[in-house]
Amino acid sequence: MRIETINQLKKSFLFNGLPDETLQVLAEKISSKTLKKNEKLFEKGDVGDTLFMIDEGFLDIVTEDKQGGALVLNQCGPGETIGEMSLFDKGLRSASVVANTDAHVLALKQDAFFELLEENPETAQTLIRSISSRLRFATTYIEKAIEWSGRIAEGDYSSAMNEIQTSQSLTVGEADNEAKANQMLAAFFKMVEELQAREDELKQQIIKLNFEIDQAQRKKEFEELTSSESYTDLKSQAQKFRQQRAERAKRYANKDLEEK
Amino acid sequence: MSTKKIVSIHSFRGGTGKSNVTANLAAQAALAGKRVAVVDTDIQSPGIHVLFGLDEDKMGKTLNDFLYDRCEIGEVALSIGENIIGAPGRSKLAGVNLWLIPSSISGKEISHVLRKGYDVNRLNEGLQTLLEVLDLDYLFIDTHPGLNEETLLSVAISDVLVLLLRPDQQDLQGTAVTIDIARNLGVPNLLLGVNKALSRHNPENVKNEIEALFDAPVAGVMPLSEDLVDNGSADLFSLKEPDHAWSKALKNIAEMVLAVE
Repeated sequence: MRIETINQLKKSFLFNGLPDETLQVLAEKISSKTLKKNEKLFEKGDVGDTLFMIDEGFLDIVTEDKQGGALVLNQCGPGETIGEMSLFDKGLRSASVVANTDAHVLALKQDAFFELLEENPETAQTLIRSISSRLRFATTYIEKAIEWSGRIAEGDYSSAMNEIQTSQSLTVGEADNEAKANQMLAAFFKMVEELQAREDELKQQIIKLNFEIDQAQRKKEFEELTSSESYTDLKSQAQKFRQQRAERAKRYANKDLEEK
Repeated sequence: MSTKKIVSIHSFRGGTGKSNVTANLAAQAALAGKRVAVVDTDIQSPGIHVLFGLDEDKMGKTLNDFLYDRCEIGEVALSIGENIIGAPGRSKLAGVNLWLIPSSISGKEISHVLRKGYDVNRLNEGLQTLLEVLDLDYLFIDTHPGLNEETLLSVAISDVLVLLLRPDQQDLQGTAVTIDIARNLGVPNLLLGVNKALSRHNPENVKNEIEALFDAPVAGVMPLSEDLVDNGSADLFSLKEPDHAWSKALKNIAEMVLAVE
């Protein structure tokens, strides 16, 4: 159990830089909890003061959609950690967590964690380094996301997609980070693909307007229509009518003038 | 020189909304203070009278009576401004100088025309007389679609030809030939009107593409509109719904027709 707990702790970005002796001390402070399927671990808005690590089973991270229905944001499984930051700040839970299957989780309370820091001050340094590297990683991605969004807004989809693909190399490193970063890359990639598909469809609709006239057919029909004798008659008749009209109009205008 | 103008509204195929556009254009011109008459030369399938609220009972003499020498053309002209029949849009025409020269809707008369044809000289003579006796500024002709001889005469004698088309392949091909014929006949002013444009088509794109295709000005792009279908022939839509996109495009065509020197 103790060894398993230590291995579990190593999977968290916070603790994986700590020496085994420290992890052993930490492991002693950890309690465990069994959840039945559909049982809530905590609710959105609760004050968070405990970090949980999943030992067995799966948990859903859930929030409410606009209609008040449950919206699953993410699912976590064995080895994954929930609520690291609650060890430091006692912030409010940003989402609820519900067991998707029967599950077993390990729990580390903030008080116990602070005890460890008091006993081993050098642990704090390691933790600060871990948090700082995590922050740097997140910042890099936020910057990337801003850059991609700019390209997407300009309609430069192909270069946005290229960059998202090449950014995969950035994620090589810690397994947890890698998974989250890949999730984000995949979401961005899908968004760009869908945008491009929608835009292509719209373009298609405009292209459909690119009518073409069959010029040979046009010429043939024109020649057929104008080559008949009756057309020639009509044309000269129309010219005559026009002329008559102009003359009559002139006479009419003159008469009008004389009357005035 | 007189400024009297003959304006023919024509299309290569039926179903372009020709009668509707003609009636609305004439109404707009009359509202702009012009003296206007509308002649229904679509003798084979007359219909424009309905837009002015007329049915067989309310029609007196018709163009057919004139063509077969049964009366003078002046007797056929019915003053719309003095005979407002129902409908909120049409009632705006009270007192304007607008006349309608309807075609007969009697089956007997129509079959007579189909069998015997009519004398295009007499029609031309009648149109000239109308311009003078009613002292018209504009004579609008609602034609029969296509390129048959009787239709071609209305096209040939017009000072302004408004060609209506839908933005589809068949209409465009037929319109191309019609434009060639109109140019060959020496029609001095040609305007294109696009009707029933789909909502996904950007009107500006439609205008630009069709202008480039035919080297002729597009005076208005009127959208395909459920509101218009709903109105049917019950009223003059551009008067009833003046702020509707269709009405705005129609009024643009009217302005361009009236701007022809």
